[in-house]
Amino acid sequence: MSQLADFIQQKRQVKPILSMTHVVYGYPTRQQSLAWMTRLLTEGVDFIEVQFPFSDPVADGPSIVAACHKALEQTLTVEDFLTDMGVLARDFPDSRIVLMSYLNPMYRYGLDKLAKRAAEINMPGLIIPDLPIELSADYIAACEANQIDPIWLVTPVTPKERLEMLASKASGFLYCVARSGVTGHSNHEGKGSTTSVDDYLAHIKAHAKAPMGVGFGLRERHQIEALIGKADIAILGSALLDAYNQGGEDAGIALLNTLFPKK
Amino acid sequence: MQSENGFYGEYGGSYIPEILYASQQQILTAYEDAKKDPEFLAELHKQWQQYSGRPTPLTYCANLTEHFGGAQIYLKREDLNHSGAHKMNNVIGQGLLVKRMGKKRVIAETGAGQHGIATALVAARLGLECTIYMGAKDVERQYPNVFWMRQLGATVVPVTTGSQTLKDALDEALRDWSSSHEESHYLIGTACGCAPFPEMVAFFQSVIGDEVREQSVKQFGQFPDRLYACVGGGSNACGLFLPFLNEENVAMVGVEAGGRGIKLGDHSVRLSHDLGSKGIAQGFATKFIQDSNGQLQDTHSIAAGLDYVGVSPIIAHLADTGRIEMTYAMDDEVIEACTLLLKKEGIIPALESSHALAGAFKDAPNLPKDSHIVINLSGRGDKDIFNVAKAVEDETFPQFLSSYLATYHADMEKKA
Repeated sequence: MSQLADFIQQKRQVKPILSMTHVVYGYPTRQQSLAWMTRLLTEGVDFIEVQFPFSDPVADGPSIVAACHKALEQTLTVEDFLTDMGVLARDFPDSRIVLMSYLNPMYRYGLDKLAKRAAEINMPGLIIPDLPIELSADYIAACEANQIDPIWLVTPVTPKERLEMLASKASGFLYCVARSGVTGHSNHEGKGSTTSVDDYLAHIKAHAKAPMGVGFGLRERHQIEALIGKADIAILGSALLDAYNQGGEDAGIALLNTLFPKK
Repeated sequence: MQSENGFYGEYGGSYIPEILYASQQQILTAYEDAKKDPEFLAELHKQWQQYSGRPTPLTYCANLTEHFGGAQIYLKREDLNHSGAHKMNNVIGQGLLVKRMGKKRVIAETGAGQHGIATALVAARLGLECTIYMGAKDVERQYPNVFWMRQLGATVVPVTTGSQTLKDALDEALRDWSSSHEESHYLIGTACGCAPFPEMVAFFQSVIGDEVREQSVKQFGQFPDRLYACVGGGSNACGLFLPFLNEENVAMVGVEAGGRGIKLGDHSVRLSHDLGSKGIAQGFATKFIQDSNGQLQDTHSIAAGLDYVGVSPIIAHLADTGRIEMTYAMDDEVIEACTLLLKKEGIIPALESSHALAGAFKDAPNLPKDSHIVINLSGRGDKDIFNVAKAVEDETFPQFLSSYLATYHADMEKKA
């Protein structure tokens, strides 16, 4: 079993649902983003999904797009990023950091090298939303060689057969996008899917060979509660960024504790 | 040009977020069916003829030929399409495909605004809802086109993120498509993006080269010796070049925008002089202008339609294999070429197409007198009136603008 899936299952023995908080590396500055991640980890989040910024983030909505562009006002290198994540992973062994990045910066860095370095710094999962599984043979091989997990996404409009294929190939965890559209609030709000979220998640669960994370559009406690028993991880992205933008770290932590109350 | 599973050598492919998979497959299937369907092809040719005025002429330029004293110079007159540019060929084709798929809305990105106008025209004619994404900087530079898109009933959305040009408009169009794919078609204007867009756009544009094959033989008894086209995204170049791909004696030259110089941010040269490097973004692999960390960079050209940060994977592949020779023209050379065509032949070229002219004019004097070159005049220049007036430092133009504004405001006050 993968280290990541193993970690999730152990944590799930004591928690009904795990928290994954999204942070844009370098936003608003490299130091401030590291301070924010440190605060979240100190607060006890189970995962940080850290996004390495890209100039053209096509699957993201306005909050994350703006944060990426702001972050890129500095020169950010993948090498520095990995070094920084290595320090956090070492200091917070009870949590895990996973990478989210669009393909190009990682392609330029080298996917082989990325998988190797990710293993070295104990960053056990990689999410690359614009690298489809069909074009991933080399990437999958590099991940396997280094015992880290390529994390695949499924969506409510993924055709049935393909969804079952992706679920059966899931490793680490399967990222289940809860609705159509881009991340966060946006002018491009997706229409409600024809199947209910419950049916969608149940269908995935019947085929998934790994734990399930659910993200996109989670902003309220009742949404998280509704996922208990149906998924393993709730992913908090744009809502956390919006809170951080409005009231800094304290507002972000307040939202986190509302959505994931400590017993 | 047929791809191998969406790839042209090492370029192309479908690097799209999972949410778009089903829609992309739908387009792939619809296109594969349509291109083999005689009824679809008959309707396509009918619309090209009756709506856009095809075939466009191949015009001999006696004065320019004499001026340079070398090759016989011909222009393929895509400027005479309805809407004033080759963009119409593709939009008519994809418009018919949208009807075939039963979708009700189209989304498009536009740089110079030519593709936006063409899309808005076809959407009006086919009764489709239409949203056009355009970089805020391009909206400023090309306002007359924005005005017409809106008059045609399209919603024009200025994109204020990133570099506020074509690449950002493309990002935003993809975001829209991610949430609206069930009822909307993303009508890409150039031979870029995920499969099957490069192949499909090139297919619809190949009518340009198909016509040149017939016209050249009829008018001067042979295929041209050399073809010239400007290369932004690459659709007009694909259109002219691809039907001649297997004719070994036909040389092909693509002309990129050299802008103000080779400093990053001053040009849009991706292929010639190795200023671009391989990357994977916006749905496909190609040569992009990017920094060492893989971030796409700002570009510049006097022609808004040529400042795309990437390039068609088909052109990138053919440039790599040496089948297409790539060169560039600087902003000032482009204005010179534009002025020369005005004075010598009485034709107003778009600044995009003037790059192809500039590239060809450099070679023409050194080519034998019995050689024939065809330059793709991809669009007409009426839209560039403001930029050209500034570039040639026309003294009375600002005066005209001030008096127009004064009268405009006075008339509005009277109405109120």
